[in-house]
Order: sequence, then structure tokens, then C-alpha cells
Amino acid sequence: MTLAIETCGLTRRFGGRTAVQDLAMQVPAQAVYGFLGPNGAGKTTTLKMLLGLIRPSEGRALIEGIDVAADRMGAARKVGALLEAHGLHANLTGRENLEITRRLLALPRGETDRVLEVVEMRPDAHRRVSDYSLGMRQRLGIARALLGAPPVLILDEPTNGLDPDGIADMRGFLAGLPARTGATVLLSSHLLNEVEQTASHVGVIFAGRLAVQGPLADLTARAAPGLDVEVDQPDRARPLILARGFDLAEGDGLSVRLRPGDDVRAAAAGLNRALVEAGIAVFALTPRRRSLETLYRHVADQNRLPTAHKEAA
Amino acid sequence: MLTALSVELLKLNRSLAALLAVAAPGLIALFIFFNLLRMDQAQDWFMVMMQAAAIWAYFMLPMGVTALTALVAQMEHGPRSWEHLFALPVRRWRLLAAKAGAVFLVVAAMEAAVLMLAAGAGALAGLIKPGIAPTGVIDWSAMVWLHARIFAAGALLTAIQLWAALRFRSFVPGLVLGIGGTFFAVVATSAKNGVFMPWQMPVNVLATDPARADLALMLGLGGGVLVLGLMLAHLSRREVV
Repeated sequence: MTLAIETCGLTRRFGGRTAVQDLAMQVPAQAVYGFLGPNGAGKTTTLKMLLGLIRPSEGRALIEGIDVAADRMGAARKVGALLEAHGLHANLTGRENLEITRRLLALPRGETDRVLEVVEMRPDAHRRVSDYSLGMRQRLGIARALLGAPPVLILDEPTNGLDPDGIADMRGFLAGLPARTGATVLLSSHLLNEVEQTASHVGVIFAGRLAVQGPLADLTARAAPGLDVEVDQPDRARPLILARGFDLAEGDGLSVRLRPGDDVRAAAAGLNRALVEAGIAVFALTPRRRSLETLYRHVADQNRLPTAHKEAA
Repeated sequence: MLTALSVELLKLNRSLAALLAVAAPGLIALFIFFNLLRMDQAQDWFMVMMQAAAIWAYFMLPMGVTALTALVAQMEHGPRSWEHLFALPVRRWRLLAAKAGAVFLVVAAMEAAVLMLAAGAGALAGLIKPGIAPTGVIDWSAMVWLHARIFAAGALLTAIQLWAALRFRSFVPGLVLGIGGTFFAVVATSAKNGVFMPWQMPVNVLATDPARADLALMLGLGGGVLVLGLMLAHLSRREVV
């Protein structure tokens, strides 16, 4: 498997705080890699290290085999990026904003029109960015990242500010990008549903550590199925469910996490029987499909566990 | 390098920095115009043009540079463009040098504008009130040389202000430095050691003592080149956190 992006032991400390620790990210060539994690998990710090904006305290980051710290210019030639802050100049038109990057990259004039066409912004290119909506700015930022058709695209929250139609368009655009251009896309997002519909691979980061990564299909298949249980006495039901060897996900309701390989129908029937026999009225037993959200919640619970133990201690 | 410079000039389109570049010399011309109108006797052109140059070098240039560098830096700090720029396969020192080049070009354009607008203000005042129309002719070569020296002597203060403006995301440190520097330059006008103060160097070019004028020019220009070099070395290595 050829890797477009690879990090080995990537670590970054800010004073005494470790923002990213021993990160071993592997993004296969021509993949759409969804980089997930809660706020403050280290996503942006990781992206900045990949772009050479900050230096790693330890470890290294490779873009198409080029060490970012050793050859920033060489690595930067392979990357187009859209960061959380667009960095667009409000006093300039959309076209002028693209001109800035086009000139700095010494690309032919036609390249500006090409990327404007790709994001369907050509009719609005003459307008000042100060008159653009957030979604238009986002699309212009993506157009700028596409200048020069770089083999790797790093996009931080690319659907931010887009309306539902814009999100759907962007989803299709990003998902089809590897097939159309051969590019690899690394996108960070909070929107699990969007990533699930766009990404071929996923990495989840918690507290600076990569908790899980791999092909999305494999990961969701491995994720334990779940059952949402509605009863009249949840406090009595909880120990009963745990006694049968199931986990309960954190949250208000009774969200039962089954074991990988469990048959959902059999588990539901068994739980129903046990609860009813204990005198607990069961209103509903709803199987939850294996999804990225199931996986994410599972990983999130696992990564919260040590903290909870520490607090309890 | 020229490409990066052209990009910096493109960024000035419809910007507040471009507006300032016209407004600051315009204020000098406005002052010259109304000052002439209130007079009873005609002055010669040399006096009119020297008056404009003196006010410019004494106060408006340091304050104008303070505002200009703050506005130019905020064009990148505001939308956080540094992240995008520094992620590009372009040497960072080139981007920063282009930024400095654009600032110096704008300051040079402001010097030229002071010269042209002051002459225009004098001529217009003379048309409105023929009795005070400046006498004689403008010695253009001498005036261009004088403004070139003021510009060169202002290199150090321009470099210091630009460094402060680019270093800090907030515009406040640069403004405090510029306002403070200009204030002390004004209150210490007659101080013997004032010539060593960057914000006073441009006006010292007008000193009647040629040695003092040459010292201000040498310190301003030499110091400006040195500080620019240090600024490029420092800011190119900084992380974009």
C-alpha cells in the first residue's frame, strides 16, 4: 500500500502540555481520509505539522515520502490546503484572491479559471470577498487549495458554512476527487455523517493520540452493534443488563453496546425476557446499525474511561 | 521576488493602506493650502516646499508609517493569511521581504505625493488669492533629493514599525511603539542626542548642521537595512501557531 501521508511517532508539546503524542497516521494514496476527534484533541496541531507551519517536538511527518521538517518546500509542492481560517482578503475579489496564490506558485493564468469552474464560482469571481457568504468563501478556499492540482489535499472542516445543497455537492466533489484526479484527501471534520458518506478511511484522535484508524468499512464492521432500550425503571434495568455481560454507553438513555459477533435479534429477545421476568416493563428495543457514529462513540467511551477512573480514585 | 512583490501590491487594491497612502500626504497639502490663504504676504516656493517637507518629516511620516505598517500587517493577521502563505512552497523570507518592499514602495509614493500635492496646494492657493501666490520657481531636483533623503532616513523607523506590526497579531504593540516614538521625537526635538532616535531621523535630515543631517541619513538608512535583515531572519523562523 502506497502512503500519501505518513507520520511516525509524531509528537508536539507546548510548554508542559502535550497536544499530539506518538501519532502514527497512515493515509493511503488516493484515499479520502476522515480525521475525526473532539475539539482540542490535536487535529489542527497535526495538520499544522503536516503543512510545516509548526515543528514536531519528536517524530516526523512524510508527504508522499518527503519529510516535512527536512524538506518543507518539497513537501509543500505536493499539498494544497484549506485551513479553518480561510485567509482570504475581504477587500479583493474572488479572482484576485486566487491570483495571489497562482502567481506565488508560478502557475499559468488559465489555472484560476479552471479552479473557479471546478467550484462553480466563475460568475461570482469578480465580486469582492466581503460580499461573499460563508459558503462561497469556503468554496473559494477550496478552489485555492486546488490550484496547481496538488496530489494531496488537506482540508480542515471543508463543509463549514455550506447550506445542505452545498454540503451534498461538496460531499460528492470530495468523494469523487481521487477517481477524477488521483489526489489524496485528508479532511478533518466534526460531522460524522459527512465523513461517513465521503471518506474511504478514517482516523480518530483523542487527547493527542490516534485511537483508531483504517478503512471505514472495516472499522464499522468491527464496531459492536447496539440496542436502545426503553423501560419504565431504568435504574433497575441497568444492573440487570450489565449482569448479562453487556456494556452500557454513556448517555441519558439505556444504550446497550453488544459484543462484536453478537446476534442482535437473539440479544434483544434475551434482554427482553430478562427484563420482563424482573418485572420491568419494556416499551421498545431498537437495534442500532453499525455506523461511524457507533464506532466513534465506542472509541470516545474507551478514551474517557481512564479519566473517569482517575477521577473516581 | 518580483512576483511576490506584485502580489503584495495586488493586496493593496481597495485597502485602507492605499487610502492612507493618499490621505496622509493630502493632509499636508491641505495644511499648506489653508496656511497660505491666511497669509498677507507671498512666500517663495522654496519656503512653501520646505514647510511641507518639515511637517511631513517631523510628524506625519512617523505617524503615517505607524498606521501603514499596522494596516499592512493586519491584512494578513486579520484573516490569518499567514497560515496559507507559509504553507506554500515559497521561501518565507521572500514573502516577508516582498511585504517590506511593498511598504517601502508605498512610503516612497507618499513622499512623491507630498511633493506633488504641496506644489498643487501652493498653486491653487495662489489662484484663489493672487496676492499670496508663491514667488520664484520650484527647484524640483533639490526637492526630489530632499525627499529621497527623508525617505532614506526613515528606513530605520519603517523597519522597526514593520517588525513590530508583523510580529504581533494585535495592532496595539505597533501603535504604542509608533505613537510613543513620535511623541518622544516631538518633545525631544532640540535634544542633542535626538538624532539617534529613529523617529527623529527623518526630520534631522533638514538640520542646518550638515554633519547632523548626514549622521541622521547614515543611521536611518544603515540601521534600516540592518533591522530589516534581522526582521527577516527572525520572522522566517517563527512558527505559525
